[in-house]
Amino acid sequence: MNNFQFHRPATVADAIQALAGTDDGRFLAGGQSLLPAMKMGLSAPSDLVELTRIPQLAGIRVEAGALVVGAGTSHAAVAASEVVRGSIPALAHLASLIGDPAVRTAGTLGGSIALNDPAACYPAGVLGLGATIRTDRRTIAADDFFTGVYTTALEPDELIVEVSFPIPTKASWQKFKQPASRFSLVGVFVSSGPAGVRVAVTGAGPGVFRVTAFEQALARGWSAAALEGIAVDAATLNADLHATAAYRAHLVGVLAKRGVAAA
Amino acid sequence: MAQTAPADVNAGRYGSGHSVRRIEDPALVAGSGRYVDDVSLPGQVHLVMLRSPYAHARIRSIDASAARAMPGVLAIYTGADLVAAGVKTMPTPGPFPRPDGKPSNVPPLQALATDTVRYVGEAVAAIVAETRDAAREARDAVEVDYEDLPAAVHLEDALAEGAPLVWGPAGDNWAAQARHGDAAASDAAFARAAHVVALDLVNQRVAAVAMEPRGVLAYPDAETGRLTLRLSSQMPSGARDTIADTLGLAKDQARVVVGDVGGGFGMKTGAYQDDVVVGFAAKTLGRPVKWAAERSEEFLVGRAGRDCRSHAELALDADGKILALRIRTDANVGAYATTTGVVIQLLIGPWVSTSVYEVPVIDFDLRAVLTHTAPVGAYRGAGRPEAIYIIERLMDAAAHKTGIDPAELRLRNMLRPEQMPYTNPMGQTYDTGNFPSIAKQGLALADWSGFDARAAQSKARGRLRGRGLATFLEWTGGNQFEERVTVDVSADGFIEIYTATQAMGQGIATSYAQLAVDVFGVPIERVRIVQGDTDRGVGFGSAGSRSLFTGGSAVRVASQRTIEQAKDLAADALEASAKDIEYREGSFSIVGTDRHIGLFELAGRQSERRVYVDSTSTVSGPTWPNGCHVCEVEVDPDTGEVEVVSYASVNDVGRVVNPAIVVGQLDGGAVQGLGQALCEQVVYDRDSGQLLTGTLSDYALPRADLVRSFRTELDQSVPSINNPLGVKGVGELGTIGATPCVVNAVIDALARAGATERAQAMQMPLVPEKVWRALHGA
Repeated sequence: MNNFQFHRPATVADAIQALAGTDDGRFLAGGQSLLPAMKMGLSAPSDLVELTRIPQLAGIRVEAGALVVGAGTSHAAVAASEVVRGSIPALAHLASLIGDPAVRTAGTLGGSIALNDPAACYPAGVLGLGATIRTDRRTIAADDFFTGVYTTALEPDELIVEVSFPIPTKASWQKFKQPASRFSLVGVFVSSGPAGVRVAVTGAGPGVFRVTAFEQALARGWSAAALEGIAVDAATLNADLHATAAYRAHLVGVLAKRGVAAA
Repeated sequence: MAQTAPADVNAGRYGSGHSVRRIEDPALVAGSGRYVDDVSLPGQVHLVMLRSPYAHARIRSIDASAARAMPGVLAIYTGADLVAAGVKTMPTPGPFPRPDGKPSNVPPLQALATDTVRYVGEAVAAIVAETRDAAREARDAVEVDYEDLPAAVHLEDALAEGAPLVWGPAGDNWAAQARHGDAAASDAAFARAAHVVALDLVNQRVAAVAMEPRGVLAYPDAETGRLTLRLSSQMPSGARDTIADTLGLAKDQARVVVGDVGGGFGMKTGAYQDDVVVGFAAKTLGRPVKWAAERSEEFLVGRAGRDCRSHAELALDADGKILALRIRTDANVGAYATTTGVVIQLLIGPWVSTSVYEVPVIDFDLRAVLTHTAPVGAYRGAGRPEAIYIIERLMDAAAHKTGIDPAELRLRNMLRPEQMPYTNPMGQTYDTGNFPSIAKQGLALADWSGFDARAAQSKARGRLRGRGLATFLEWTGGNQFEERVTVDVSADGFIEIYTATQAMGQGIATSYAQLAVDVFGVPIERVRIVQGDTDRGVGFGSAGSRSLFTGGSAVRVASQRTIEQAKDLAADALEASAKDIEYREGSFSIVGTDRHIGLFELAGRQSERRVYVDSTSTVSGPTWPNGCHVCEVEVDPDTGEVEVVSYASVNDVGRVVNPAIVVGQLDGGAVQGLGQALCEQVVYDRDSGQLLTGTLSDYALPRADLVRSFRTELDQSVPSINNPLGVKGVGELGTIGATPCVVNAVIDALARAGATERAQAMQMPLVPEKVWRALHGA
């Protein structure tokens, strides 16, 4: 790991300012992706602006029919939260299956979606619930937020403050783990509620995506049977050491049906 | 490192046969273990390796001038530097000829490559600096000009016409060959067989992934120049000899010291090139030099195991009795055939190919093939998992073909206890064994005959249930039967026992301490077991599940000799005849009187204030542990996921010193066997030879959720007669049994769904996609 300067601001404004003064600085949330990348020499930022001491990024609450989760909230905190369990249990379930206990204790919601790893779980929850991302300067709809592999709509110095999840009437998270990393080989989040019917998939393709054919079928009638015979095109999906694109396409269907049945 | 138990004990409950809590653990769980990287010395500097990014390339030039000028950099060594300094090549296998009868064909193994690299990760330079970070930064500044050459990565590519050659002189990539058995008799048996089954089986390459990566801390003695190396090693003496020889030192000019070892599994047996390089750097710089492998380096260059493909055939008569076994195996031994890598595939594994069955005729043609991949070595089981996987897959295939129940077919062919001692077609003699009894107990424990009801329950839940069986044995021991043990009874109240076998997490120190308690009758905290210092004693070390039956036997003999010797001293002290002295629980007394002297008090009366015995003893042969492992799996037909829902085994490991440790060895071993069956595989890119499974994010280790629980029972009724303890090796048994047992269960589940042929054609690891495709023909 290369040497770097370390900053620990107390407010969002201070964090933005601290980053502005660096050559090639990065925000550091839970560090569960950035720190391993730095250890492997894949990333060598000049500065790290650490976010865990900023009160504005903390907290879980329900307001106006939505669950609002601070960007700095750990996966473990979301998984254990009675507020989350009571409003969107599928989201608590999603958080409870991320990584391992150490990862869940340190990793954060904001860090996960800002990185937008194509196999990460949270992007599927955010997109699959039609959430809104509130940053230090604006709000971004989930549909506009995830723009590609490891890329988002965020400006380089923009900081996620909190994420607002409309509380659905039905939702389920189905995860098929990559056997080594325990990321999603394929993960499917299904929901029905204020944001409409949504089916969001992670792990299978080059970034999280919605399956509109599934959504249209489910909008006509919410049942696993409604998805019978609708295939996901494997041509755009990932193939790697762990699974072919065809198998991933098959799993999207299996998991979506299971999710619909369970929701 | 000395290990003693907490002082809250009395002797009686701490002898052999009891599940004594491991005396190793308090230090390890408290974080005060001493692994190589925990030890630092004044003036210590750090070494990192620069490794080849190519599977096959010519090194045109290495320019380290910029790196040498960087702050903190002390030295940069290349292969040419080592050659110029007289460092020799490392030992490579001798005994096996090539298929064309010429001597084995392998490139010379250099500690650092000189003109050619032959696998991704082969070290080309070593950088030494004041800090690890400085060494890493300098490594990035070393410029190597490679000429990338075509690589032969997969077996079939290495054997193809016109394949890129790993080592030119022979004109092909065959390294060595062994033929065993009687080909003509086998052909005749197959010709008259009522049933023949044939399978193509791949035993994939698997990584050991010891929790502690290897490391070396080497330091020269300023006055004598003698070199000490602190290693994470299972075989300190052998490592010392190889390192000394390669560096041109007399054996007594090198010392290897081993602290705690965080797992060995066979991959920490011999000396590595890295060890030689670090030793060279320390000797040359005159300073302590430390190298600690990173996890990614261990994936690249730590010895992986297995990696062979076999065409195996079994001939049976109309009653299902085996007539002959024919095996043709090509083993990928990597770019540099190591002695262990070749011997495991060409000799050691085949020793048990006929397993617990009566097989009249064998015909084995076994070949080692060079490829542009990292050299292969020993991994838990080392040849025996490959052999047992073949025969147990064949037995299930034969059961399916003949319609005979798999358990019945095995029992029909099983050697009977009255046939012991039995010499198998490889000339190996099993001393004892009651295989049918073990099999029947295992089948009963698993409720083999109650399967249908459980399968119906699984079906009701939408799952396909299958059951798998493996009845098997293994050879243990390394065929090195002599062990030296020193016993030092000191006036301060401790019995210190040194042995050259090596703890690596398996609990051997506890087992030895229990054996000493058996003889001395003192509380276990009075016993200190010391290992891992070639200055205190040398020996073969710990490999092939040999420690307890050779080292443990030697501990008992040495302890008994100590009592005998001390009896003479006690006789002098008590002014009596030695024949009138009896020893009991730490005290010598004159028979029929109350006159006595304590063991430690007696030690205090001696001129050196101790009683010291240097004892060498031998056992008379290897041991043949065996078992019956039965598992049941459920397959999710939608995804192909396999869940191991039950695992039961009955194991004959002879007499048991510590049941908890033995069961732990069996279950832990089985988890590694399950890993090979279901998820583990070292994968190289077929064209480039890049390692695709170079991190724990891509190499899938088994986890605790892979199996619900083990029911593991021990049958102690058939002790080994080759050692005074009656014990048999246990370290590898679980691994050997679990792999075929689980694979057979998955195939059974699919066969019951009508997909027999596709199921039998699956190769490990049985990841969900493979199972799903086999099930649906997708």
